[in-house]
Amino acid sequence: MDELRNHVKEMLANGTVAAVIGYKEAGSPMRTKPVIITAPEEAILLVFNEYCLNNLAVYLTKARVKNLARVNGTIKKLGIVAKPCDVHAVIALIQESQLKREDVYIISFNCNGVVKDYGETLTGETIASKCLHCDARQPLYHDKVFGELKDLPASPDEELAKIKSFDDMTSQERFEYFKNEFDKCIKCYACRAACPMCYCTQCITDKTIPRWVESSAHGRGNFSWNLIRAFHLSARCVGCGECERACPMDIPLSLINRKMLEVAKNDFAYLSGRNLETPTLVGSFDVKDKEEFIL
Amino acid sequence: MTEEKWEPKVVAFVCNWCTYTGADLAGTSRLKYPANMKMIRVMCSGGIDPVFIIKAFERGADGVLISGCHPGDCHYNAGNFHARRRWTMFHQLLEYLGIDKNRLQFSWVSASEGKKFVDVVSKVVNDVRELGPFKGYKELNSEFTAVVNGLKQEVNKAEAVNG
Amino acid sequence: MEEKIINRENLNKLCRDIIDGGNILIAPGKTEYTVIKDTSEIILDAGSKPTKASYKNYAFPKAEPVIYYKKDKNDIELIDIDIKGKKTVILGAKPCDSNSFDILSKVFNWDYKDDFFNMRVKNFIVIGMMCEFADKYCFCTSVGLSPVSEKGSDIFLIPLDENNFAVRIITDKGKEFMESYGKYLTEGNPEKAKAKTEAGKSSAKMPEKVFNSEEVRKWLGKNFEHPFWDGIGDVCLSCAQCAFVCPVCHCFDIVDEDYSYEEGRRMKNWDGCQFGHFTLHASGHNPRDIQGKRYRQRINHKFKYYVDKFGEILCTGCGRCSRGCPVSIDIKEIVSDTVKN
Repeated sequence: MDELRNHVKEMLANGTVAAVIGYKEAGSPMRTKPVIITAPEEAILLVFNEYCLNNLAVYLTKARVKNLARVNGTIKKLGIVAKPCDVHAVIALIQESQLKREDVYIISFNCNGVVKDYGETLTGETIASKCLHCDARQPLYHDKVFGELKDLPASPDEELAKIKSFDDMTSQERFEYFKNEFDKCIKCYACRAACPMCYCTQCITDKTIPRWVESSAHGRGNFSWNLIRAFHLSARCVGCGECERACPMDIPLSLINRKMLEVAKNDFAYLSGRNLETPTLVGSFDVKDKEEFIL
Repeated sequence: MTEEKWEPKVVAFVCNWCTYTGADLAGTSRLKYPANMKMIRVMCSGGIDPVFIIKAFERGADGVLISGCHPGDCHYNAGNFHARRRWTMFHQLLEYLGIDKNRLQFSWVSASEGKKFVDVVSKVVNDVRELGPFKGYKELNSEFTAVVNGLKQEVNKAEAVNG
Repeated sequence: MEEKIINRENLNKLCRDIIDGGNILIAPGKTEYTVIKDTSEIILDAGSKPTKASYKNYAFPKAEPVIYYKKDKNDIELIDIDIKGKKTVILGAKPCDSNSFDILSKVFNWDYKDDFFNMRVKNFIVIGMMCEFADKYCFCTSVGLSPVSEKGSDIFLIPLDENNFAVRIITDKGKEFMESYGKYLTEGNPEKAKAKTEAGKSSAKMPEKVFNSEEVRKWLGKNFEHPFWDGIGDVCLSCAQCAFVCPVCHCFDIVDEDYSYEEGRRMKNWDGCQFGHFTLHASGHNPRDIQGKRYRQRINHKFKYYVDKFGEILCTGCGRCSRGCPVSIDIKEIVSDTVKN
């Protein structure tokens, strides 16, 4: 922790970065919240532990945060404390030209997993489900890395088992299942707000002329919204699980995002946010793409 | 509407340059195809946003057909290549969420394939006919239908609970 | 005030009767207050954490049709909504929830009388229950409530031991409702229940009072332009989770939905002041363009404007917004920080 604080202090003091987005304690040592620091003496606030759940990449596209990087007419780097899985989101944003690699300073950690919810001790039962199938516990891209890898507590991957179990269901049963889940939606759009890849300045659901997605939180409006949200994130989602965590109504959004990750992996061998050199999946094409579903 | 009288409603989004012209050819060649198809012409299959399809289902379509130029023949060079990737994702998403894969179908029909167009349309309409009316999506809107049909009591019941 | 005793078995029977009588029974579930179909689903535990969402949606639904229309060639037919509202019983409401309808009634009956809300609330019986839960997000004592507050309840339950509840009948509505269920009640000893509530007040489960709402109100009146607000919302993501789970947030939006060329309806949908486009004008100007201003509105509305206008704090101290906030913003902390500036 001191390494992190000293490093950030130095970077801010020597002007390498204009601001650093990191985590600080929120009321108890077992809960953290995002903090944006600009003064070297504030670096003492920073923490990094298994309670750093937020994906801070979401702030990189916010206008107020971007403005912090503009110092005296020049654009400086923005520092970000990112778990290896959050680095995927930063990379995906760079792939989608929302950000330049040279404008961001990635401080990452060799990650030993995070908890599902604040206030729990990290064990096989409380570990976040995304950590169970994590393929990058070491950051793929970084400017500075801290921490040592330890063994992850093991646990069966229930999420994948659940997705697999849908294969045995008829489409009607699946429809019923998702309809009931989506019925709970209250359209607070916390899923959208928490998602680093949902950076549109105007979301399609907020457009009124024409109104494509009904703003009402009734059966139909909810189904359309969740379908569109899932589609707009297919092959772009990096699987950080922030949407599901933010959802106040406990809708299993990860079940859908994870499925779409699997689809992109199986059909195109593509994983979002893993490689700066490759273009995004939906922003490019290959003449040899599969098309057996087309008549 | 009774079950016997039910006829499938299929909406087709077709590209201006190939499939629409193909459909024209089917017409001028006096080929017959089911009249259940409501065709909407768009400039390119790459311009069909998934919200079009959702809207079609919302407004009571039982099935949707998307059709464009064969790969390599796109009037805008690459529109259908982009579309193909998008639909690969989208059709699997819909299937996962419980919308039968036969309710949303895709095809490539060129301007000279009037016969193929007839075959595709007949196949889609038959598939949808077999599946029956798309009750699931329609029921998402049952409360509304009940009101406009004058069944106020039913609505009140649903409302008191779900609001 | 009458006081009786009911045991769990009889309470279950009472619930059975409520459901069999064609009424709606609502009790706290895992995420939200849910409609109970079978009495075995009821979990009645004074020590349980408040549900993630409040029960305001049963009186003020998240999306509600206001009017339907049908067009033909020359005419438009309007179909009114006729809410009869069924008798609805809320069992085991936390004191921080039970007060919500009283607070909301003020705004829904101030200028325009909102029939949709009133018709539903008229049919509500709120059976409150003493609360034995407190975490660091609870602050009901700071807004004039407490874990033993009977405000807003028609009937109030006090858990005496594992199996028995003291039943306090608070309002005439509650009395009338309980008349037909008298067979399930036994005579109680008011002293015992009183001792229990007194013990509850002094126990560790009593949230600490963290701010003086009157002081906060005065501070807010003087410090609209205070630099305190500038950075307050930098980490906020502008979702409306806080407003939507709040028992007393009541902003709504009116939208028209057409279903075909001829038919459609007008909807009243929840809206939230933390959305960036909430105050966006048609001209493109947005008076609350940054999150700090939106957050200022949220605090001011709850602790100043509403108090000035209706004499009630628009907050019940349930702590739902803080507990669920994706970026861990704690409203209690911010409100208590205001006066320190």
